[in-house]
Amino acid sequence: MAEARATSRWWPIALIACVLALATLAEGPKALSVARGVVRQPGFAELPAAAGWSLLRMTASYVLSLAFAWIVGYQAATNPRAARVILPLLDVGQSVPVLGFFPAAIFLFVTLLGGGRWGIEMASIFLLFTSQSWNLAFGVYEGLSTIPLETRAAAESLGVRGLLLWRSLLLPACIPTLIYNSILSWANGWYFLIASEIIVAGPVEYPLPGLGSMMSRAFAAGNLRLATGAIVALMVIVLVMEFALWRPLRAWSQRFRYDSQSPEAREEARFSLPDLGLPALIRPLRGLARAVWRRLPTRRANEWLTRGGAGARSLGRALRWPALAAAVLIAILGVVAVVRALRPPWPPEAASVPLALLFSFLRINAAYVLALLWTIPVTLWASDHPRGARALSLVAQVGASLPATAFFPVLVALLVDRFGGMEMISVALALTGMQWYLLFNLLAGAQRVPNDLRESLRSLGLTRGAIHRRLTLPACMPSLVTGSIVAWGGTWNALILSEYVAYRGKVYEVLGVGALLNRATFKTGNRTLLFLSLAALVITVVAFNRLVWDRLFRHVSARYRLEG
Amino acid sequence: MLELRHVYKSFADRGRAMPVLDDVDVQIPDGQFVCLVGPSGSGKSTLLRIMMGLTPPTSGTVLYQGQAVTGVNLRAAMVFQSFALLPWLTVQANVELGLRARELPDDEAKRRAAYYLDKVGLDGFEEAYPSELSGGMKQRAGLARALAVEPDLLFMDEPFAGLDALTSANLREEVLTLWADHALPVHTVVMVTHIIEEAVLMADRVLVLAQHPGRIAADVPITLERPRNKRDQGFDGLVDSIFEKIV
Repeated sequence: MAEARATSRWWPIALIACVLALATLAEGPKALSVARGVVRQPGFAELPAAAGWSLLRMTASYVLSLAFAWIVGYQAATNPRAARVILPLLDVGQSVPVLGFFPAAIFLFVTLLGGGRWGIEMASIFLLFTSQSWNLAFGVYEGLSTIPLETRAAAESLGVRGLLLWRSLLLPACIPTLIYNSILSWANGWYFLIASEIIVAGPVEYPLPGLGSMMSRAFAAGNLRLATGAIVALMVIVLVMEFALWRPLRAWSQRFRYDSQSPEAREEARFSLPDLGLPALIRPLRGLARAVWRRLPTRRANEWLTRGGAGARSLGRALRWPALAAAVLIAILGVVAVVRALRPPWPPEAASVPLALLFSFLRINAAYVLALLWTIPVTLWASDHPRGARALSLVAQVGASLPATAFFPVLVALLVDRFGGMEMISVALALTGMQWYLLFNLLAGAQRVPNDLRESLRSLGLTRGAIHRRLTLPACMPSLVTGSIVAWGGTWNALILSEYVAYRGKVYEVLGVGALLNRATFKTGNRTLLFLSLAALVITVVAFNRLVWDRLFRHVSARYRLEG
Repeated sequence: MLELRHVYKSFADRGRAMPVLDDVDVQIPDGQFVCLVGPSGSGKSTLLRIMMGLTPPTSGTVLYQGQAVTGVNLRAAMVFQSFALLPWLTVQANVELGLRARELPDDEAKRRAAYYLDKVGLDGFEEAYPSELSGGMKQRAGLARALAVEPDLLFMDEPFAGLDALTSANLREEVLTLWADHALPVHTVVMVTHIIEEAVLMADRVLVLAQHPGRIAADVPITLERPRNKRDQGFDGLVDSIFEKIV
């Protein structure tokens, strides 16, 4: 699924605005420093409660992300002017790692709301939200903007408006992309859970009860048994959700595609696993929904919607100049904040930012090449063995849904002090997050090659190797690039977890942006360093996306498209 | 009577206004079957959408029964080339959609949908999803959906273009039968097509659009006796004369 990207000149402005806003928030509390709080080590007895809390937090953040996605995605899809601002902002937001939102989270929820349990909970949910919401918004945008023009006109010509339009067209049209992106969002949330449940503010760190904090603390203390327990619990939750929720939902969502008559879609439905009770659960819910719908005062709701929309529009018009003035003010404050944050003396690490950036870049590309080295041959093999391909795509789906953080302890325990130590580990950790997306997308690309095309080449007497070279590989190029964009961008965010590992009371780190961000957040509390490394990372990722991946994607999808 | 007065339409293309329709004046009396023909890019579909009220003209007015059409004309309905059925609704629910929008009670909507599905020969397929139907059956569902709102005016945008020759010939006959059926409220039909034979076979009157920008180049009355046949005397002559007007 290609991500919808706007080609606009707005993105540098949006990027700068974002960096400035982050810097403004970074001016919040003065005392963000070393964690000194001594907290009792968790034990096995707290595991179920921790799992419950984490699930609850994830659900809350997901619901918020959904609401955000609808508002923002709908605006972007229906208002081209808004889209020019929103899409680049989403793009930038997606490439800011969760640690980059720490100052904002602390400022908003700890400093402003006080450091109570609720403030900390909200900060944690906010951090999870920053890892879940962007791609959901893209999903809504894509779903709404790919409604065929004639379908839209048909609904309009029948006089379908208001709530009925939402129920019959807008919501269903978004279901496939929304479900696909929900799965990604949950995977992302689980991935960053470990970084989102310990809020460091002032002289104290606040660990919330949860699987993420339990994992990282048990791990830091060298309590491998408890860490493994937490990981197993996490994997059980992830797998149960995958099989009981996402797989049936994905099969169900096929109904909401415009091309549902394609044999490919049917194929997928036939080989999906049994629905495990979800339909039985949904049927009474559907009845309930229908009953509620019938009792809804639709007419009044419609009036209310129109009036609300008109009100919002006139409010927006009235507030345009004040809003612009506020934006200018914030920008000025941001500039002041940037100047103040960059005021000397700079910490000694600041000089290492460019080199750290380069090393992180090399590390990510090493992981990327390694991932390609095994996924491409496997995909080619699978293209000749349909049964193997189906098994593999199940493996890739499950693999992609498991948070790579789960593999960290195993890898660290295996590799620490061996085979190049932490350097090796950080590449391997990056690889665990990256490889499944690539495999998943490559397999999907290989499956899209029409059989008669393959047969025609075989009838011409081409060998298997020649067919791979001339047909399968070129046909996989668009999905390879799509997968690469997701995997490559996501791995930059994962650097904060893979370049800095606390294990058995000792910190293992390498020279890299991710490690610098961790140090700035957890160790020295230095805002200048945090800001510098964050800006370096975001600018690198966005620039690389724009200058390399976007162009590559356009080139490849123009050159290697199978249809037309 | 549907009346277009000095209708202009232009689209913005990279900051420049591209004229699509240039001063179109048309009067369509009730009960007429009108075909719009013209080369691609002559603005046939745009003109149809302006008549329906889906797209506002850049300038000029559309009047229906003497009243200005400012939004979607709810006394009209439209059939699309791509069928434009919602894939997640059953055939029955698709046909009921316009009735739900008009807030008809449940049982009345069900009864009416069943009646029109029967009229287009789709009884027994109420619970099927569009993806399970052939192209011809999908267009029948599209037709039933348009007829079910019991419109005075029916607009059709190349309704047979996505179908094979045999299916489109059959469906053409059925549309003519439905149009002639006095039990149905729809008497006025405006249809876009790029096949001149189709226009001569079906219409009372053929409007020829010229391109860049689109304007009415000719208004040809077709007075051949119904039911018509391609071998009728004068048929070829009419087709040829319209063809010359397009080229």
